[in-house]
Amino acid sequence: MKKKQWFAVGMSTLLFGSVLAGCGGEEKTAKNEEKSEKKEEQVEVTIAGWGGNPMEQKLLKQTLDEFEKTYPNIKVKHEVISDQYMDVIKTRLIGGEGPDVFYLDAFEAPAMIGTGVLEPLDDYVTEDFDINDFEKPLLDAFKGPDGKIYGFPKDYSTLALFYNKKMFAEAGLDVPKTWDELREAAKKLTKGTEVYGFGAAPELARLYYIAESKGGKVVTDNKASFADPKVVEALQPIVDMRLKDKSAAQPSEVGAGWGGEMFGQQKAAMVIEGNWAIPFLQETFPNTEFGTAEVPTIDGKKGTMAYTVAYVMNKDSQKKEAAWKLISFLTGKEGMKIWTSKGFALPTRKSVAAELGYDKDELRAALVAGAPYATVWQNGTNLPIIMNNFNNQFVSAFLGEQPLDEALKKAQDIANKEIEAK
Amino acid sequence: MRFGKALLYTILVLYAIVTMIPFLWALSSSFKTLEEIVSGSISFIPKDFTLDNYKQIFIEQELFPRWFMNSVIIAVTVTMLNLIFNSMAGYALARLQFRGKQTIFMIILAVLMIPAQVTMIPNYLILKQLGWLNSYQGMIVPAMINATFIFMMRQFFINFPKELEEAAALDGLSRIGTFFRIVLPLARPALAAQAIFVFMGSWNDFMRPLIILSDPQLFTLPLGLNSFKGQYISYWNYIMAASMVFTMPVLVIYAFFNRYFIKGISFTGGK
Amino acid sequence: MFRRQRWKEAGTAYTLLSPTLFVLLLFVIGPILFAIYLSFHKVQLLGTASFQFVGFDNFTRILDDTRAKIALWNTAKYVAIVVPTQTMLALVLAATLNAGLKGEKFFRIVYFLPTLTSSAVLTLIFMWMYNQNGLVNHVLKFLGLPTYNWLGDPSVALNAIMIMNIWSTAPFFMVIYLAALQDIPDSLYEAAELDGANAWHKFWYVTVPYLKPVTSFVIIMGLIGTFQLFDQSYIFSGGSGGPNNATLTVVLLIYQYAFKSLGTMGYAAALAFALAIVILLATWLQRKFSKEESLY
Repeated sequence: MKKKQWFAVGMSTLLFGSVLAGCGGEEKTAKNEEKSEKKEEQVEVTIAGWGGNPMEQKLLKQTLDEFEKTYPNIKVKHEVISDQYMDVIKTRLIGGEGPDVFYLDAFEAPAMIGTGVLEPLDDYVTEDFDINDFEKPLLDAFKGPDGKIYGFPKDYSTLALFYNKKMFAEAGLDVPKTWDELREAAKKLTKGTEVYGFGAAPELARLYYIAESKGGKVVTDNKASFADPKVVEALQPIVDMRLKDKSAAQPSEVGAGWGGEMFGQQKAAMVIEGNWAIPFLQETFPNTEFGTAEVPTIDGKKGTMAYTVAYVMNKDSQKKEAAWKLISFLTGKEGMKIWTSKGFALPTRKSVAAELGYDKDELRAALVAGAPYATVWQNGTNLPIIMNNFNNQFVSAFLGEQPLDEALKKAQDIANKEIEAK
Repeated sequence: MRFGKALLYTILVLYAIVTMIPFLWALSSSFKTLEEIVSGSISFIPKDFTLDNYKQIFIEQELFPRWFMNSVIIAVTVTMLNLIFNSMAGYALARLQFRGKQTIFMIILAVLMIPAQVTMIPNYLILKQLGWLNSYQGMIVPAMINATFIFMMRQFFINFPKELEEAAALDGLSRIGTFFRIVLPLARPALAAQAIFVFMGSWNDFMRPLIILSDPQLFTLPLGLNSFKGQYISYWNYIMAASMVFTMPVLVIYAFFNRYFIKGISFTGGK
Repeated sequence: MFRRQRWKEAGTAYTLLSPTLFVLLLFVIGPILFAIYLSFHKVQLLGTASFQFVGFDNFTRILDDTRAKIALWNTAKYVAIVVPTQTMLALVLAATLNAGLKGEKFFRIVYFLPTLTSSAVLTLIFMWMYNQNGLVNHVLKFLGLPTYNWLGDPSVALNAIMIMNIWSTAPFFMVIYLAALQDIPDSLYEAAELDGANAWHKFWYVTVPYLKPVTSFVIIMGLIGTFQLFDQSYIFSGGSGGPNNATLTVVLLIYQYAFKSLGTMGYAAALAFALAIVILLATWLQRKFSKEESLY
């Protein structure tokens, strides 16, 4: 008797659920059978990205307004996803509610391309879009294993050394050219726990090029390999600066949210940050006088990171023609010029870069100079997992809770276990 | 004895201070300039008292009022539905004889024991199938009943005097008519306590909206506030101002209804 | 006639119960069956959705998952410290408030503030106070105590959440105790006084035993609540459970596997079942331990 009832309850739930689900499904397909786009018909394209500072938002709005003027029948709906961007995008794509066009960081691109949710863009490209104008490594970051292009980079930034002019003048120091000089300078610039010589960012995204500077590899065949003694040797100085020299600290140790803030509050004399820090510092900390220089060399070799973000198209988009028009405008010469005109981001097109002349800009020259020898922040589909595990353990080594080689060994094992379980 | 009293007062006052400090600190920070916040001063009185932070969040964040409205719509609807449906279920379980009553009662008891995490993932998939992700109904329908309060209402109706219902039956009112016209109005104290708890639960909920809502237009306040933090990681003055705006309505409600709170807690407290 | 009456009554009952049954079937019982199904499959949703049967793989994987072990350990630590502390604090506060002092109402209102405030707001306020040069460290420095990097140091980040949550949930349980305290018959205390008991004796030999069923209820509610710690960890660490997995809780891990990483939704469902079993075990042990009939 009891059993029977349970069974009945279960069955009716399943039946009921499937009926409801059926309704839902039908509704969806009906909605999706939108009429194919005609000329003059109004369409609305949704574009999603993460937030930036208010100035940047205004700039993007300006670019989008310009686009709407050029194509009066297309309306753009801009959505800002300010937190957990990738999670939200994935969730919305799964829920069938993805935006038509959205930002994609190079670092996440291989995994995203692998899932098949992005529209390949090769067939849309026209002659006057001038694909060869893009910096090649930045464009290659969005090529799939099939050789197709899935996104066009909207901008990029490298890393440069930011130094506090006043502190350097007081200490009578020159801007360090090599990593050894940086370490010595950091010692001299440190004032107890009030000011640290160097504000470190203990995360793989910022350390990748240093980790590989002695010939080791962080990732091999889409698996973690950063426990290699050569990688440990390359990263050891960063840890030593904090623990032995006491001349480096991470932002949270002085109550700052990130390196730019730590530097702005004059709690670090040097940080290695990207283009994004320039407007931030000028706006928030106008009294902190700073200069920039190329990242110091290691063993005579130059190195830095390059981060790039592309506009990509949702494969399920119902408005692909309009979506392409938007992408091609934003990453085209005209759109990119508006977007990068204020120096919040660096243009990925050679022609735009030449026109805007950032290579001669006092603060941005060092960043532009890094582009040819930068390591693009991207490596296979498993880099997000590898990065998470690296960051977790590296921080604890940085804080002196365990030796670096052990920490990296542990992190590598866990990361590879996670990759195998996938 | 004198000494004992002094000790007790000391405990009470100390703990009251411990309780108040975070709120006062947040309040004072919300009136400070960013400069003062960054300088790490720890005065509770702002140096240059400013309302800019409040202006800023309402001007810069055109979504802020929307989040507020979303929270209100969802919380109020969920509360209304809960009051009616939980009472209906509680009444049926308390007063009526029917086949399957025991089974249903056991199921409701079992629901109390199952952690929400088990149903969270399938619920997401079910809502996705229904096309209810990113919608008010996706937030409201699954939350429109609550096993704890069905249980509480059942307890309440078991102890409810039968005479009124019998009189109503003699007047020719149907069972359902009796319930809505006679019984429910008299259950006001239980309903008020329930209303407050359901409302608070919905107003402050973080995990369900996090999973169901991904469109910033539809965010509820806690979600909006969290994304705010993502955006303004270093602007604690804005974050604190937003936190204060979010907390005020609840404090006002509490100030008015605080006696029902205590009642409601005694109800849930297995009495 | 009589049978018709019964039919009618059943009809009425099911009418009244219909919304409840609808939600229970669609959003509780259905999902539980669905969750069982999910936990035996590898679920891929992005791109082409696929459900691939993998037998017990998801369950065996738990045993080999370092992060799951860390999450369970963090959660266990958290439960073991927070539940007793908040229960004791709640009892002490309630007894103090109940001593018939002036201003009881005022204190009750003040104490209750944290319970009203959303976890999101409280977490943000505390993050602000826990800042390296924030209020908490200033106070510690002033008292000559060591200061900590509350948010960035893996060895203290979980403690920061513990302190915050004890502070915010103890008052809620305090009110439950308060209601029960007011039910204790005065004759018990009078009898104790005749035996020459002082205030402390009265508390320990009369109040505490009388409140045993309430304590049992408070502990079970506390267990269920603490095992499900999520909001604070999520906001504190921006969803990552960092620094160095220090704030990773079981529920946060389930969330990450379900909604952050791709293709692990089935595994997340298996983890959720494991958590449910752990919670049931803990509450069952508590009941055996206290041998008391409480609400459950």
